[in-house]
Amino acid sequence: MNHRKPISHTCERLSREMKLVELINVDYNLLSIFHRLNIRLPFGDMSVEDMCQREGFSTELFMTICNIYIDEEYRPSVGTLSADALPRLIGYLRASHRYYLDDILPHANMHLESILSYCDPLSGTTLRRFYDDYMVHVRKHLEYEEQHIFPRIETLSDNNGVLAATELDMPHSEIDDLTGDITSLVIKYLPEQAPTSLRCELLFHIFRLRDDLRRHALIESRLLTPLVERLSKTNSL
Amino acid sequence: MAVGSPVVAEGLRSIIDSCGDLAVVLSVDSLHALIDRITAIAPDAVIISTELCPTDAGDIKSAFPELSDMTLMAVQSTLCSDETLRRFDSSISIFNSAEQIARRIREAVDRPAANNYADSHDLTERERDVLVLVAKGHTNKEIASMLNISPHTVISHRKNIAHKTGIRSVAGLTVYAILNHLIDGDIE
Repeated sequence: MNHRKPISHTCERLSREMKLVELINVDYNLLSIFHRLNIRLPFGDMSVEDMCQREGFSTELFMTICNIYIDEEYRPSVGTLSADALPRLIGYLRASHRYYLDDILPHANMHLESILSYCDPLSGTTLRRFYDDYMVHVRKHLEYEEQHIFPRIETLSDNNGVLAATELDMPHSEIDDLTGDITSLVIKYLPEQAPTSLRCELLFHIFRLRDDLRRHALIESRLLTPLVERLSKTNSL
Repeated sequence: MAVGSPVVAEGLRSIIDSCGDLAVVLSVDSLHALIDRITAIAPDAVIISTELCPTDAGDIKSAFPELSDMTLMAVQSTLCSDETLRRFDSSISIFNSAEQIARRIREAVDRPAANNYADSHDLTERERDVLVLVAKGHTNKEIASMLNISPHTVISHRKNIAHKTGIRSVAGLTVYAILNHLIDGDIE
């Protein structure tokens, strides 16, 4: 497990008043959040709050997502989030799924394709099959959330009803294992004919996907689940 | 090493010395002499001739806790049963060629020859056997039965394989096995 080192007291380092360029300087990986939310650059000297108002996005929710993103130890308090945080969060999670499927995985696939041209046919075919299976796993996991979990939560937001936290339990360990396998194979075992530059490009994408999926899981367990529990409790009153 | 026959002991020493990067750090002629000194020496591998092992001792690593963390190699100078050999991590025979003996000792001490960039040799011979069967789609129970070992031992080998290779899934291990030419491609 190779996580980025958690930054301590990050909740104090991020503020709604700070300029977006300052926010990105805290952790440039936050750029991908703008990208997946389709928030366009340039920002000029716009603050986080200004940007959220312009885009019609809850500042509180945006800050919470950013905090979870840059600090794995961060535990948000859902008490301050408004009632519309849940549908907005589902919107963000769906956008993240699109980002993985339409952006990171195709880019990684393109680099893999280049690498395979350097492998002997048998190794190439085997690795191709493994990567395809990996993509199917990721896709199935995301589809399950989109088709079964998110609609139930959206129904919960529209009507009365309850949803137990256990029903939101979405294990990510299998994808994590497969991601580890790909990186080990590319770093340790792929024949030396495969150029290092191409391997690095592929690995950057895979590691980025791995790290983002871990944050995605944190957002689900530390933000989505408590919000659903809060709503279930309100609905059952 | 603990070898009863001085001829076998000297022969092994000569082969090991000729490897260049391997050395015999202790040579004794009884199991007790070995146990007395083994902890202080902490060698990469321990070679024991099969006739020195009491047939009723059961699992050697359980009978002698001093050896529990060590790689045990049997050297056979007489015919001995599979059951005896299963008590060791790997084995050599006085009928093997010098090259075969050197290769097996290298494998046992996890020290591949310098020209091997692929490190399938990081795995012991038994771990490779297990890996190949895993890659071919066999279950732990089937592998245990095929290799005459307990399912618990299969699980232990699988943990070591995952730890050494960094690969956990069956699909990933299959790719590993093919990249390292441990199996051919006729598997589904």
